Formats: sequence, C-alpha cells, structure tokens
Amino acid sequence: MKDFEALKSIWHDQVALPKVSHEDVLKNLRKTRNGLASKLLIEMIGMGIAAAVLIYVWIASPFTMWTTHLAMIIFICCCIYYILAMISNYRRINYDKLLDKPECYINHLKKYKHDRYIFNTRKYKVYSIFFTAGFILYFIEISFMTSLWITVMGISFTFLWIALCYFVLMRIYIKREEAKLEEMIQNLERLHKQFEDTDQ
Amino acid sequence: MSKEAQFKEIFQANSKKIYHLCYGYTGDDETANDLMQETFMKVWQNLDKFRNQALISTWIYRIAVNTCLSYLRVEKRQAKDELTDTIIETRGEEISEKNEQVSTLYKCIAQLEENERIIITMVLDELPYAEIAEISGISEGNLRVKIHRIKQKLTELYNRHERF
Repeated sequence: MKDFEALKSIWHDQVALPKVSHEDVLKNLRKTRNGLASKLLIEMIGMGIAAAVLIYVWIASPFTMWTTHLAMIIFICCCIYYILAMISNYRRINYDKLLDKPECYINHLKKYKHDRYIFNTRKYKVYSIFFTAGFILYFIEISFMTSLWITVMGISFTFLWIALCYFVLMRIYIKREEAKLEEMIQNLERLHKQFEDTDQ
Repeated sequence: MSKEAQFKEIFQANSKKIYHLCYGYTGDDETANDLMQETFMKVWQNLDKFRNQALISTWIYRIAVNTCLSYLRVEKRQAKDELTDTIIETRGEEISEKNEQVSTLYKCIAQLEENERIIITMVLDELPYAEIAEISGISEGNLRVKIHRIKQKLTELYNRHERF
C-alpha cells in the first residue's frame, strides 16, 4: 500500500524527458509561420488579381446594360468579402484567448465552432447566391453580344461549377469539419460538466 | 537579453514540467511532445506581450492547459492501457522497477477525468495551490477539496493496480 507521498516520490524519480528542444520549437515556428504567411499571401494575391481583372474588364469593356454594371459590382464585392473573411480568419489565429481561464477558453472554443459553422453554411450560401445572381445579370448582356450557343455554353459551365462547389465540394468539406467539431463539442461538454462539478 | 536567449531560458526552466503535464493529460509520449511544442510556439508568439516575469510559469501553464483542453484525439485513442514503451528512457536493470512504477502511475492518471489529470500533475510537480487555482480558474477553497478527492482517487487506483 502506498500513500500519496510515495506516489509523489515515484513521480519525481521519473526520467522521461521531452524529445523536443528549444531549437526544434523555433525551427518549427519559422516553418509554420512562413507556411501560413505564404499561403495567406498567395490567396490574397490571387483574389487581388481577380479583383483587378474584374475592374479592368469593367472599365475597358463597352458594357451598355445596367445589369452588367451591377454584376461587376457584385463580383467585386464578393472578392472584397473573401479578402475580408480571410483577414478575419487570420486575426482569429491570435493567442490572446489562451491566457484566459479554462472555462472562458472553452466558451471561446464553443463560439469559434459556432462561427465556423455559420461561415461554412449560411455565409457560403449567401456568397453563392450573390455569385449566381452576378452571373445571371452578366449573361443578360452577353446573350445580346454573342451567339445563343456560346451563351448557353457559358451559362451551363458557370452554373455547373457553382453547383459542384455548393452541392459536392463544400458538403464534403463541411462533413469533414463537422465530424471534427462534433468531437470537439463532446469534449467541451464533458469538460464543461467537470468544471461545473468543481465549482460545487 | 535577446528574445531567443530569453526563450531558451524559459524553455529550459519549464519544458520538463510542461511535458509531464501534457503526458499526464494524453498518456502518449508523441502527443505530449507535440502539445509541449505547440505550447512553446504559443509562448514564443506571446513573449513580447508578457511583462510580469514573476508569473511566467503560471502563464505558460495556462497556455499548456488550454492547449491540452483543445487537443482533439484524432484516433480516439484511449490512453488508459496504451502507454507506450518510450515512457521512460531505460537506464538499466536496476531502475526497471521504478520504470514500472512510473508507468503504473501514468496509467492511473490516465483514468482520471481531464481536469483532474491536469490538476494532479501540477500537484505532483509541487506547484503552490494558489498558482494551481490561478491556472485552472477555480477558487483556492474549491481547489483544496478537489485536490483532496483526486489524491484519494489516484492513491486507490494505484494501489488497486499494484495488487494485480
């Protein structure tokens, strides 16, 4: 039979040591930070180029119908929205919350989970609706400028791509993230219960 | 002192305890190393924000606790009976019994609830109660009651394990 003091003595006798040195941490940190920064930069440049091309097309092309101008405004707004969402996501990768008390931190994680769900479902739906509306408006003038065949092809490919993203790709992504979040919810609820027990 | 030198000093002073905390929480050597690394990456990123040197260990512990709490078991591994052989660096036959005891102790810690694992590893590392209360965000009075219960639970678990 051992008492707690004996267990403490066993604990202090252990020789298990971390296999990570401070150099490893710094090396990994530089790698991660550079990876994140370049990914963010590539996405920003990509969306920036898309917005610039849209503005150029808007200015350079002799669009005559108000529907096309509205479509261009919608596309540019979508690009700006995407960039803002990216910046907001980047801002969430701050670690201030890590200094909160565990219960507050759990609440922060719960909020994060909720926000991610909203972002992946409701906001993406609105984004897709606006994008689709933009293309519908855009193709009105295109239908007058080109042959019916080209218009039909353009509309078909565009809407097939939007449908593929919305009904297939995004659903796979949401399913994967939901499975991960579901585990997080279970963990959080269990933990929350433990903290409630502690307060009694 | 440069930021890197300061970080090295902080790492050397705290890494072992943080590793034990992560190990106690996950019961897995590899994951414990990952969580410890993640903790210190966050420490580095927040080093400039932190001014009060006297409380640095509390601050690091809190980051470690929150990192552990948000850790998701991807493989749904139950740590209880799957402690790896790498738990202890074997130094020879003469300490094998001690290795066995440490291994049993970790197995017993793995059977506690998450917050109990975190609290008990800090108690075993002899952190002052006030600091543990500050890290875990509960009052010192509640903490004392909680610690008393966890100590009893762990001792019972250990003695039960040893009998078999």
